[in-house]
Amino acid sequence: MVSRWMYVSLVILYSFLLGPFVIIFMASFGANANLAFPPQGFTLDWFANVFETSQFVDSFWISLQLGLSSTIVSLVMGMPVAYALVRFQFSGSGMVETVFSAPILVPGLVMGFAMLNFFVLLGDMHVMTTLFIGHTAILFPYSVRVISASLRNLDPYVEDAAVSLGANRLRGFLLVVLPNMQAGIAAAFVLGFITSFNNVPVSLFLSGPGVTTLPVSMLSYLEYYFDPTIAALSTLLVIFTVVLVQTAERLLGVSQFV
Amino acid sequence: MPHLEIDDLTVSYEKDKPALARFSLDVGQGELVSLLGPSGCGKTTTLRSVAGFIQPDAGRIVIDGRDYTRLPPNQRDIGLVFQSYALFPHLTVFNNVAFGLRMRRAPRKVVHARVTYALRMVGLEAFADRRPAQLSGGQQQRVALARATVIEPQVLLLDEPLSNLDARLRVDMRQEIRRLQQQLGITTLYVTHDQVEAMSISDRVVVMNEGKIEQIGAPESIFAAPETVFVADFMGFDNHFSAAVESAQADKLTVNWGGVPIELHWHSKVGAPHRGARAEVFFRADNASLSAAADAKGLSGQVILHTFHGNEVRYLVETEVGEFGILQDSAGQRFENGAEVSVQAQTQKWIAIIE
Repeated sequence: MVSRWMYVSLVILYSFLLGPFVIIFMASFGANANLAFPPQGFTLDWFANVFETSQFVDSFWISLQLGLSSTIVSLVMGMPVAYALVRFQFSGSGMVETVFSAPILVPGLVMGFAMLNFFVLLGDMHVMTTLFIGHTAILFPYSVRVISASLRNLDPYVEDAAVSLGANRLRGFLLVVLPNMQAGIAAAFVLGFITSFNNVPVSLFLSGPGVTTLPVSMLSYLEYYFDPTIAALSTLLVIFTVVLVQTAERLLGVSQFV
Repeated sequence: MPHLEIDDLTVSYEKDKPALARFSLDVGQGELVSLLGPSGCGKTTTLRSVAGFIQPDAGRIVIDGRDYTRLPPNQRDIGLVFQSYALFPHLTVFNNVAFGLRMRRAPRKVVHARVTYALRMVGLEAFADRRPAQLSGGQQQRVALARATVIEPQVLLLDEPLSNLDARLRVDMRQEIRRLQQQLGITTLYVTHDQVEAMSISDRVVVMNEGKIEQIGAPESIFAAPETVFVADFMGFDNHFSAAVESAQADKLTVNWGGVPIELHWHSKVGAPHRGARAEVFFRADNASLSAAADAKGLSGQVILHTFHGNEVRYLVETEVGEFGILQDSAGQRFENGAEVSVQAQTQKWIAIIE
């Protein structure tokens, strides 16, 4: 009996989770000029419209560049921090860990607003630069956490083993530790990229004239238009994300660290 | 000349509380010496100092006439086997074993030949292409052994290599380690907290406590003639009581055991005891016997518990001197709880320690 109730509640839960997406998905193929459900007719015009709207195409490229660059930089910075946190117990290491998780805990809007003020104080910076710094700051704690998790799975003595067999510390790290961090780094990359790509609150504050990320330009599009273009774009983004995550999972088995 | 010399090694993690205090040990070529003691006794500190992972505060480590004390760990000619095996999870068994040879830039053919030979020695040549995660614990430990010995190190160090294995496998692996060590004739330090393991595998055993050596000797002598109360406790003497010395000669000492005078072998670190000094007396459960109270002139007591152990029955007997555990052949006379018995001492295997 318990299992049946669990089954029923799971179905209800998932229909709430996935239902809206199913509606958006179906609406993106509808021929109505406004978002409507159930859709009438069938057309791919709205998908074509996504690619013809320069606002979306431009901001997609910005989001892509931003996502890749801030993810890579946050990984490069996060790796040594994660390594130090896992391998060494130093005074205040617990505090360092807490400080590094702060950006996850602070509400995005607060982060965005604080950063806006900060960059205004710093003076005339390029919008793309401020976006890049802002996103890197958000992603950094994710990098540290996910890479730490992958390092904790590795026997700390493998490094000593490599050294006792004749490798110096650096070679030991490169030949033994780094290869075993691959999956963790890939997981941090996928998680970081998706987090950056989807971020609204920080991007909202830091975007400027002509430089907007995709989610922000979707929001501003919605203020003026209510046609299924936005549904078509949402469908494309979901497919993009699912393909990205599935590929990473197939290749590297990243889900164990997220 | 000893192959491995450790002189006056001192290591302190905290001030004024040395983990290792003036530890000295000589190990001969091809000898296997165990460092035995409870956790925190300094045995692993000694091992990691020899490996070069701990820089001692004072003292010297010399291997084959070469001073190792300040040598970085990767330049020491040492094979190390870890409790957790520490195999490289991303490499195959073959590449794990080949790692040290490749670090030494051995030619491809040499690597192949020596790794294959090392894997055959531990019976794993069929597993060369597996990953460590596909092997059992015992197999992983064999790979770790092959990896540490294939480089033909001057000294092999084993840090509790069997603790992660189950009891039966431990006995097999212990024999296998000993066989391999003797075949290779490799000078070996073996760290363990298990006295049975230490005795069965070693040429000599070093019993350690609080960073100091309690006793060094052949397994037989450590087992039969502990020199300190700590060693006697650690080597599994079941029974212990304190008694006043009545008289002492060079080889015998007489104490009063609940009215029964008994003669014992003795050991003292403070010189010959005077009359009335306190002696700590130890004996194993199989070095005393029971008989019915009426027919003997031993120490009288009462059985308060008996437990069956197959070939033997273990009795807990309460006497005026204390409670003693005594093993009796289960085929012989049996006693119920509450039975009045007489305890006969087989004192040639008892030991008195004066500290």
